[in-house]
Amino acid sequence: MAGIAIAGQGPAKRPKEKGLRAGQRSFVLGSLTPIMAYMLFFSLLPIVWAIALGFFDYSPTRAGSGFLGLGGANPFIGLANYRAMLDQTQPATEFRLAVGNTLVFAFLVLPLNLAITLPLAVLVESVHERIKGLFRGIYFLPTISSAVAVALMWGYIYHPQQGLLNTAIHLVGLNPPRAWLSDPTAIVFGVPLAMIAVIIAYLWQDFGYNLVIFIAALQGIPREIRDSARVDGANAWHEFWRITLPLLKPTLLFVCVLTMLSSLQVFVIFDVMTRGGPADQTTPLVMSIYRNAFRYGNMGWAAAISMVLFLIVMAITAIQFRLLRTDWEY
Amino acid sequence: MKARLAPLMLVAAFLLAACGAGATPAAGGTAGERITLRLWSHQNAAFQQANEAVVARFMELHPNIEITYETFEYDLFIQTLQTSMTAGTEADVIEMFGTWVCSYANGGRLQEMPAEVMTYEQAREVFYQAPLDGYYCNGKLYGLPNEFNLENGGALVNPALFQAHSVTYPPSWNTFAEMIADAAMMTEYDGDTMTRAGFNYVTGDGLSFALLAGILQQGGSYFADDGRHFNFDSPEARATIQLLVDMAQVDQVVDPVLFNDTTNWVGDSFFAGNVAIGFVGSWAAGEGRVNYPDMQFDYVEIPPYFGTENRFAADSGWGKVVSVNSQHPAEAWELARFMAAEQESALTWNTATSTIPAMMALVENPTILETAPWLQATFNLLPHGQYIGDVTDRDQLFYEILYPHILDAMEGMVSVDEAARLIHSEANAMVDASQ
Repeated sequence: MAGIAIAGQGPAKRPKEKGLRAGQRSFVLGSLTPIMAYMLFFSLLPIVWAIALGFFDYSPTRAGSGFLGLGGANPFIGLANYRAMLDQTQPATEFRLAVGNTLVFAFLVLPLNLAITLPLAVLVESVHERIKGLFRGIYFLPTISSAVAVALMWGYIYHPQQGLLNTAIHLVGLNPPRAWLSDPTAIVFGVPLAMIAVIIAYLWQDFGYNLVIFIAALQGIPREIRDSARVDGANAWHEFWRITLPLLKPTLLFVCVLTMLSSLQVFVIFDVMTRGGPADQTTPLVMSIYRNAFRYGNMGWAAAISMVLFLIVMAITAIQFRLLRTDWEY
Repeated sequence: MKARLAPLMLVAAFLLAACGAGATPAAGGTAGERITLRLWSHQNAAFQQANEAVVARFMELHPNIEITYETFEYDLFIQTLQTSMTAGTEADVIEMFGTWVCSYANGGRLQEMPAEVMTYEQAREVFYQAPLDGYYCNGKLYGLPNEFNLENGGALVNPALFQAHSVTYPPSWNTFAEMIADAAMMTEYDGDTMTRAGFNYVTGDGLSFALLAGILQQGGSYFADDGRHFNFDSPEARATIQLLVDMAQVDQVVDPVLFNDTTNWVGDSFFAGNVAIGFVGSWAAGEGRVNYPDMQFDYVEIPPYFGTENRFAADSGWGKVVSVNSQHPAEAWELARFMAAEQESALTWNTATSTIPAMMALVENPTILETAPWLQATFNLLPHGQYIGDVTDRDQLFYEILYPHILDAMEGMVSVDEAARLIHSEANAMVDASQ
């Protein structure tokens, strides 16, 4: 409906019902511009560059002839890097092994992490308020420790001659494995022992983060719901399984996504504890990317691997959202 | 309008800041005009001290030249080189490891040394060929070495362990077998677990250089006829791998599962007292003097694996190169030449770093032995060395191909023949992929 028309003048403008005033728009623009610029230059552009590199045989030791050093000595090769991932060459075999290692690591860490943190969160939540904070603090300490320091510490714990773990095992009269981190023949239920050792170290450092999140989520569950369940005859297990766990689904989604994201991109603990050995049994994808990019200068190949990792992460995250989504809230 | 300008100006400021970082000074310095040269090296206390001393003397002699010296942690140094070269922001003079030089030079990242600075023939009169040839690519010279990097022919020895096991000290080994026999006597166990290795040679560099040396000492070559591909499936290669395997499995001087590059690395385990004889370059002795001043140890020459001549292949060592993007090439080459080819500078550098001199004249100079007496053991070896050659990608060859497969053979996971075949196949695939 048009505004009221006044003779000699155009129709009066209808006042806006939505939107910001000019001053507000300027403030929002000014506030968002720095972070948008940061994301553009340090997130989006590097991603675009990595995608582009995956289609070139690019090495920084060679001066290319085109835009940003592409072309010439760094030729465009199309999908050759991606096709090469299916070959029987040594780099392709190492790539597939790294994919397997990464998935094994991530899919072992997630359920083990949940199996530790969820019951522990319920236990911590059930203690007196005064000591609850103490437990939270103690369990969170490894999370804020340096990953390198944690890896070095666990490397010493696993040391075959002077390590704390083997010393303790000897004390109780048992024989420890020959080597926790460097024996390629030590396989437990199809998983290399070195991988299991690193998973233990990683869980030790990481579980405190999810624990704190779960504790906060448990505190957010209305007490009335649990009281009602008890009144209806639910015991502790029923309460946990039928009430607490379903109500934690949104938090579970958050925790699962974050844990998988960090597990799929793990690097430091492997690099310090095992350097990817023995026999590449603990080489994850990120280590493969790093080696190929910066040790061997094969940045095109490394970029292609990083795109594969990106797709894996995206697919797994999408599946998690699909399985754990909720359409309710309380 | 004004309000919209502010965010745009902010973005423009970011862009300018990002693009302007590290710009090389403008070209065209005239005689007498003060110019600034940038020098880069990796972080090593002894190397930094050496470079600073030489740079200070250079600036005294060239008052119009200011040197800005920057150092980077080792892994970061490699990344910085690669990314800065792409951006054209690298230093004028770079301390580069010789075995890397040809990959950068062939990629157009380094300047060819002008003949008026020094020709290759002139450099051959000054430097040992092994380190020099790392800087000689496709018939052109791209820099000068400071160091003869030697990872072969010598070992750390622990006198206390020799004496504890009644093994003759100082050692007087005439053959490699005699050394292994002594090492076997010094191996210790706690049940089935080896707690002390008699001879720890299980490292990426150790196994790789041992294989190359073993092939050369039997009169063979690890290069194929075309000089580019490899021949690792030869009788000489298999014999060497068999020797390395037998030392672990038959002589039991080391347990490769418990002593390798990631667990009980020789440089750590020797100085922790867990190794009687440690196969590592002489540079480790220099580090040991600093980090373990109270430990008694020596560095001695070890016999050749085969025959009587201790032939070996050597990496080139650290040296100086000039970037193709340097805006002051004449001054940059003068700095590089001064740091590597001036005898006083080279003496300062090698003394401070306790490294083997690449300059032949210094080997006859007793000054170095006063600060690094363990180098004496290496001087006998130098004439037998040859440059490792164009191995395409040294790190990939050593750490992804040679070391893993030899280690697998030592641990009994593959046979010697299978290890040789895999090494041969993968090394040549690496060459093919690079072409």
